[in-house]
Formats: sequence, C-alpha cells, structure tokens
Amino acid sequence: MKIGMFMMRYPPSRKSPIMPEVVRLLVEWGVTVDPIYPDEQLTDLAHIHVEHDLYVLKSGADLALSLAGALHAAGAQIVNPYPVAAIMRDKIIATRVLQAARLPVPSTYVTNHLEELAPLLDEGPLVIKPYRGSQGRGVHVVWDSDELNNVRANQDLIFAQRYYKPEDRDLKIYCIGGQVYGVKRVWPAQTYEEKLGEPFVVTPELHQIALRCGQAFGIEVYGLDVIVNDGKFYVVDISSFPGFKGVPDAALRLADYIYSVGQRVISGQPLLPAFEKERFV
Amino acid sequence: MKAIILGAGHIGCGLAGQLLRASGYQVVFITHTPVLADHFNRVGCYQVHLVNGSEARKIVVDGICAVSADDLDRVAAEIAAADLIVTSVGAGNLSAAAELIASGLSLRSRPANILAFENLPLAGARLREHVAQHVPQNFPLADYGFSTALVSRAVTQRLGDPALDEPLTFIGDPPDAFVVDRLSLRQPLPSIEGMILSDDFDAWVCRKLYIFSAGHATCAYLGYLKGYHYIHAAILDPEIRAAVLAAMAEGQRGLSACYGAEIAGDESDLEELVARFENSALNDPIARVGRDPWRKLSADDRLIGAAHLAEEAGVHPEHLALAAAAAFYFDDPADPSSADLQYEVKFFGVASALNRICKLDSSQGLGCRVANAWRQFANGWHRGNVLLKLDRMIWACCFQPENGARRTEIVPQSNDYQSLFLAKTVY
Repeated sequence: MKIGMFMMRYPPSRKSPIMPEVVRLLVEWGVTVDPIYPDEQLTDLAHIHVEHDLYVLKSGADLALSLAGALHAAGAQIVNPYPVAAIMRDKIIATRVLQAARLPVPSTYVTNHLEELAPLLDEGPLVIKPYRGSQGRGVHVVWDSDELNNVRANQDLIFAQRYYKPEDRDLKIYCIGGQVYGVKRVWPAQTYEEKLGEPFVVTPELHQIALRCGQAFGIEVYGLDVIVNDGKFYVVDISSFPGFKGVPDAALRLADYIYSVGQRVISGQPLLPAFEKERFV
Repeated sequence: MKAIILGAGHIGCGLAGQLLRASGYQVVFITHTPVLADHFNRVGCYQVHLVNGSEARKIVVDGICAVSADDLDRVAAEIAAADLIVTSVGAGNLSAAAELIASGLSLRSRPANILAFENLPLAGARLREHVAQHVPQNFPLADYGFSTALVSRAVTQRLGDPALDEPLTFIGDPPDAFVVDRLSLRQPLPSIEGMILSDDFDAWVCRKLYIFSAGHATCAYLGYLKGYHYIHAAILDPEIRAAVLAAMAEGQRGLSACYGAEIAGDESDLEELVARFENSALNDPIARVGRDPWRKLSADDRLIGAAHLAEEAGVHPEHLALAAAAAFYFDDPADPSSADLQYEVKFFGVASALNRICKLDSSQGLGCRVANAWRQFANGWHRGNVLLKLDRMIWACCFQPENGARRTEIVPQSNDYQSLFLAKTVY
C-alpha cells in the first residue's frame, strides 16, 4: 500500500508528536508512506499524477489544499476528500452546511462592512472570526459597537456569530471513523499541556451531534469545537483532520483507521461508507 | 504419489497444497468454485507468500490441477486413485465433503489416510462419522485413517483474480508445522514436510486452542470494544497486550497442570505468539478473528475451555473471563453467529446465554466471573462507543445501558485525568 501524506512541518518549539507516530506505525505495518511538504518544494503542475493508493490531507495550508484538489481532479482517493476539506476551510459554507443539517450553530452573519454588525450588538455580543481562519487566530469578541473599531479585519469579508459565553472550558470533539472522543481545553490553549486538555465522557446528545456533523459533510475524520451555554450545545467550528491532541491512543487509532481505509481502497471498495442520511455536501 | 485436497481455500492452498507439493505429491484440488478450477487448470500454479515482521519468502506451488466438485464421477475417480486425501473445506462443510469422499472410497482397492485441515479439534473423528453414513455397512472403514491436522500457520488473504491468468497469491505466516494423531492413522503413514506425528494429540489440541486461540480471541474481542480494526493494531494497545498475555498465561498454567510443562511451554512461547499477532503482513481484521462468537464461547472452546482448565489447576481465570464477557458484545452485522448471540442476550439475558452457550451458571464460579465482567462492560456498551480504559472501564461516551444492565453515572470530580472519569454505579 502506498500513501502520500500532505503534512506541514512545525517549528521544533511546537510539540506535535501524533502524525510522526502515525507515519511510523504505518511504515511498521508495511505501508510505503511518502510525506509531502508542498510548502517546502517547487512543484511542477505538469508532473502531478496519482502515484499513491491513498492520500491523507493533514496539512491545512492553501498550497496543500490546491494540490490535493488537482489530485482529486485526477482521480486520487483522499482522506478527507478534497471537496469537503475545501468547504471546511471556509466557515461561511461550513456553517451553512451545519445549519442546513439542523445542527445547533449560533446565529451567523456575513458582511463586507463591520458597521453593519452594530445593530446586532443590541441583542448581545458577537464573535468575529476570519472566515478562513483556524486555531483561534484573529478571533474577537465584541460587546458593543465602539469595539467594532478595534477589530482589525485582515480582509473585507466579515464572519460573525452570536457569542455565547461558555459555561465551562471549550469542548473539542474528535471523530475517527465513527468513533467519538471528547477533550476539554482552555481557550486559547497556549502550551502543549493546555492543548492536550483533558478527556471527558461525551454525552449521548453530543455524540449524536458529532455523528450528524460527519454525515452532513460525508466524512469520517474531523473535529468540532462546541460550547455549552445555558445547558445547550453550540457547534462553533468544524475542521477537517484536526490534531487529535488529548485523544487517548490517538496515533494508534488514526493509523489503524488510515490503514483500514487504504485496504478498502486497494480492494476496490469505496473510500468511505455510504452516508445515507442528512448529507448536505 | 497423488494427494487430493477437497477445498481450495486459504489453508488448502496456503498450507496443505504447498507442503504436499514440497513433499513430492502431485496435488489435485476439488473445488465448488468453477472459476477457480478453470484457473488452476489453465495456470497450473499459485504462489504462497510467507511473511512476518522481518522476513518474507515466496514459494511457487506448481504442478497442480483441479476438478470441479460438480463432476461427481471424476471426483470419485480421483479419490479412488489418491495416496492421500485431505480436506480443507471449513468445519461446517464436512458433511458435504464426506459424501464426495465416500463415493471415491467405494471405488478404492486399498485403504488410505485422510487428514482434515480444519479449524475443529475433532474434525478427523467427525469426518469419519460423516463418511460412515455414506458407505455400505460392510465397508472396511476401520482400515482407513482419519485425523485432524492441527495447523499453526494463519493464511489470511488470497490476492489475485481467478478469472485472469496471473497466478493467485496466498498470504500467510511462516510456521510449517502441523500435528496429526498417529493413533488415528493407518500404515503406511504419509511423509509430509512439517508433519508432527503425536501420540498425545489431545494435548496438542488443547495447547493450540487454550493458548494461541485463546490469546487471538482475547485480542479480537477486546480490540473490538476498544475500536480497532486489525489484530496488528489492537495488540499494540498496551492494555490489550497485557490482557492477551495474561489470558494466555492462565490457559498455559492450566495446560501445564494437566499435560505437563513441556506441552504447555513457557513465557517465551507466549511472547512468540504475541509477535505473530503483530504481523501486519497478515492483514488480519478483528472481524475475521472474532467471527462466530457463539461457537468460540462454547463450553470446551478457546475461552471457556481454557478457563475451566485453569480453574482445575487452581488458577483464577480473570482475563479469560474478561475476554469471554467481551465476546458477548461482538456485534458484526456480516456475521450471523454474532447476530444470533446479540439476540440471545437481548431477549433472554446474559444468564440464560451463559447457561445455553457456555454451560455456565451465572451465580457461581466461572459463570459468575464472566457475568460480572459482562455487567461492567454493559455500563458503557453501545454500538459505536469505544472503550478507552480497560482497567477502569472508561468509555468515550456514556449511554443508557442496554440489556437491563446497571446504570452508571459519570461524575467528573476534578481536573485530574483519572478522577475525571470516576464512575459511580447506581442500581
């Protein structure tokens, strides 16, 4: 089995042991794994061909996403599939997909003009996020219209959601092939230990929400950010192939999952099982 | 010399055919799959790929041919002319195979030995009984030898398409040895590479079933609850690895007390078996190893049988009981046996299932151990849920328990990882 893995190299100061361990396990199991670091090399587009049984799109960088798209167009099998990974990079589309699936997301607004958010602040605070952002970067909570002037939007497009103050730490829900794991984490997590957070036992309601999110997009490897306010859950973000920090035995579980998907693919079965209900992508 | 192999499946081709060819036999397969018979007759060979973590050996098995099982006259003629008859048809197909064998035996001028390469300890004796039903009463069946062939090798995959002209490849692990019951065979005894003739066959059966198979099943059933897909992944989970070693050690101690230390082996043998479970080249899914839990939970099979033997030796078979309890949760939609088991537990309760399948009383002894372990799993079991910590029975998600089991409340106590999962059981 040959797997091409789109990865991102992090500075040594950033501890990220899970994916290297996944690669090590897959290699130990006889898989040929070719890590691909698009950001570190010159790629001749004419030379893009499907050379692997399976690709894993771990990197969220734009170039990795585009190259995965080119491979997708050429017929590559990718975890997660390019169209879904691309949609999840755009919070506007992703949120709309979640809404359409009747999943609990905060009221969400988009505009090109910050001042248009002012009337909405009469009903409570908003959280403004870069619509293609990740890892909490560039997130502002705005309580009144004066604060809108302090928001340094790096782009014209403004993505805002009704802000619900979490009653507890952030809940990270990680899903691998239909399995659901919960990790509580402070926000924003700064240290590695904070990013590891603490596993928690997921409630049936949250379990159901997590699985429905996967069904809505038609994928099996993803993460949700959920907050609890007034006893209600709100899905405030969803990401394709997150870091899985804090999931017990994460590397072993991911390697086992990727291996099983690879086996499915090389035996001619579909990359993913059929998502019969609630698929919106 | 000619050998007939009824069944051209994994063990038939990946072990029996290979060893018989290596021992100088001309090999004829009898198969119910016409496309496979055509393939073997057209291509004339197949490959056996023996792999473990560090080495791989490719063997070409040539000089073979096949006959369709539907061609009854030809099958009977081949069996009549054979020096050795082998079955590898699956335990459930012995009766059908016996009918074919009987038709050939009736044409023979001299007795022969028949080896059953089946995953069933009493396969040789069963086959004799089935054949007896299809031969005349005065047929000299006692002159024929029938023995189970107890194999070590796992053959887990067949690669290739029999519709094409490329030789098929069977993937297995390296062990060649197989044990037969000398006392059940007749002279002249066959000479086959890897064959061990034993006068203490029952001991070898117990050794395989209560150590290797018990460990394999423990890995599969606990691996299933912990959400793994492959044996080679599950065995890398430290908790599962420890449980597998402990379950095999319980079986080994029982075996040692009953048959002696030489048969039972020692700790290093258990480590060798675990190393075989790590062999990813076998690509062995948990769904395959866990298949047919109803049979694997029966009173004399790998888990309960090993536990009984351990108890007789004064060993508390905690880990075998744990594995048996886990087996009751094995729920693979593709496996009718697991569906029957789930139905049994759901509608009649675990006590009834223990009694009916394992012949155990859930209120005492081993039955009580299994029932208690079952109840602990029941606190978190739900289809799709993942057991995170075996030692504390911590699950990824909490659900209302099914099957009338006790309910557990998950009570986060502090920031400490362990106590975060502190579970309070209520009745």
